[in-house]
Amino acid sequence: MVEIALSAQKLRKAFGAHIVLDDVDIDIARGSIVGLLGPNGSGKSTLLNVLTGFIAMDAGQVALGDQAIGALPASEIARRGLLRTFQLPRMPTRMSVREVLLAAERSDAGIFAALVGRSLRASARTDELLEQLLLSRVADQPASAISGGQKKLLSIAAALANGPDILCLDEPTAGVHPNLRGGIVTLLKQANAQGVTLLIVEHDMAFVRNLCQRCVVLDRGELIADCPPAELADHPRVVEAYLGRAAARRVATSPEKPPVKVPAEVRV
Amino acid sequence: MFEFSLHVATIAALYGLLALSLNLQTGFAGLVNFGQIALFGCGTYGAALAFNNQFGPVVGLLLGLVLVSLVALFFARLGRSLGSDYWGIATLAIGQILLTIATNETWLTGGAQGISGLPQLFTGSTRLQGHLILFSVTLALLAATWWLFHRLTQSKFGLSLRLMREEPQFAASLGYDLDGLRRSAMLVAAVPAALSGFLFAHYMTFVGPDQLFSTETFVVWTMVVIGGLGSHAGVVVGAILTQMLFAAVPFAKDFFALPSEYVAAMRLTLIGGGLLGFLLLRPQGLIPEKVGSIRG
Repeated sequence: MVEIALSAQKLRKAFGAHIVLDDVDIDIARGSIVGLLGPNGSGKSTLLNVLTGFIAMDAGQVALGDQAIGALPASEIARRGLLRTFQLPRMPTRMSVREVLLAAERSDAGIFAALVGRSLRASARTDELLEQLLLSRVADQPASAISGGQKKLLSIAAALANGPDILCLDEPTAGVHPNLRGGIVTLLKQANAQGVTLLIVEHDMAFVRNLCQRCVVLDRGELIADCPPAELADHPRVVEAYLGRAAARRVATSPEKPPVKVPAEVRV
Repeated sequence: MFEFSLHVATIAALYGLLALSLNLQTGFAGLVNFGQIALFGCGTYGAALAFNNQFGPVVGLLLGLVLVSLVALFFARLGRSLGSDYWGIATLAIGQILLTIATNETWLTGGAQGISGLPQLFTGSTRLQGHLILFSVTLALLAATWWLFHRLTQSKFGLSLRLMREEPQFAASLGYDLDGLRRSAMLVAAVPAALSGFLFAHYMTFVGPDQLFSTETFVVWTMVVIGGLGSHAGVVVGAILTQMLFAAVPFAKDFFALPSEYVAAMRLTLIGGGLLGFLLLRPQGLIPEKVGSIRG
């Protein structure tokens, strides 16, 4: 039986009269890599924010394994192993890239550790991450002074250095130079091989096909598809969400490409 | 002249403790505290209330530490629901409320007259010797606080404070409990401020509400801004320089043959002008914070 790492039931969130999440159910199997897709404004980032406690939901349940986490503050959810990165990562001005990575490894961060000498030790993992994401050259620069793409890499590295069980990434490749995207894929595959479950909001389909075993698609707050990435292009509701109804009709009536049935309940 | 220099040095060291304390809050944890003088006041009134109730300085010291812990925790508690600018205004308000209590609750604090006659902590064979011992103790305390704060800020705890200072959401996303960090930073920073107040009370032998005016908070702010937010060495240098300037004011008054009411005005002008000048021309201060000094 597949172990569920993260599950959400009947998630609802509205901003005023605008319903952003409309009874969304989602289960993420432990060790899987799931893509979270949808047109702009479909509720992907809000779903990440609700799952990770950065926005309070109006109704619904979120569970990490068998523990309910829906009412916990974001920092507590992160301490329990569910981490996230931001679409537009902001980095501190008066900390170096290396210092940000060191701070991200949260072990021994208390006052007691600082006083009794269990303070900072050279971390091979930090250097390894810097090397892997081509950030070694800027390791001693202020973290706010590096490029937008590098900030994105640093935010992913920081989340991984923290040792998450589940990592939610909000558009990890947006603004990252194509040459570096391969580095992100490798890094995420490695993390996944070490047991990290990944939920990735992404628009770059090549990246999604390369990495994700399964995709869930949101449109206007509703979950409209759950299938492997290869089947997305033939999925009428996905096509409709992205390209409009006329295009969806063409896909649905095309004799050689039968439409994929949307499962009533989403589960892997 | 030696006695005068010793007095200036002692006051500079006491202000140095206050500057280190404010720097840990504002320079490292991003807690913009405009009620810093209230923490100092816990130390002075701890000493005075104990003395007024026939207890010795040890009880005064403990009372000061208890009071300052409560005020620090209250400050930290406020920070949970307020943005940093609003929090700053709230701390200023709390400082003013405590000042009003000190001024008006005459039965407890002696009101505007304050409490006088506190004993000197150290009595050598002469008064000067007593002052020398007090200066040495203050200097040792300043060095110990500096060392402790340096150690704290060079550790992962310090890194987490700096991450909270600049990107609280990022810090929370990495699992840092911002309420807990604020609490720890306030508690640790409050102790030297109260110790400074305790020593000051016994040195001046008088405690009164006029020592808690908010202008005093801005004297400490000036020291921190001149020295460099986020730099321990900087803020101690800032405290020494500001005190030296203050000490020079009466001489300047005599030199330019100015009336004596100019002395207070000139001090305020120095504070305001220094603060403004540095904020505009050298916001990083004389000794700026080092970025990237922690290499793991």
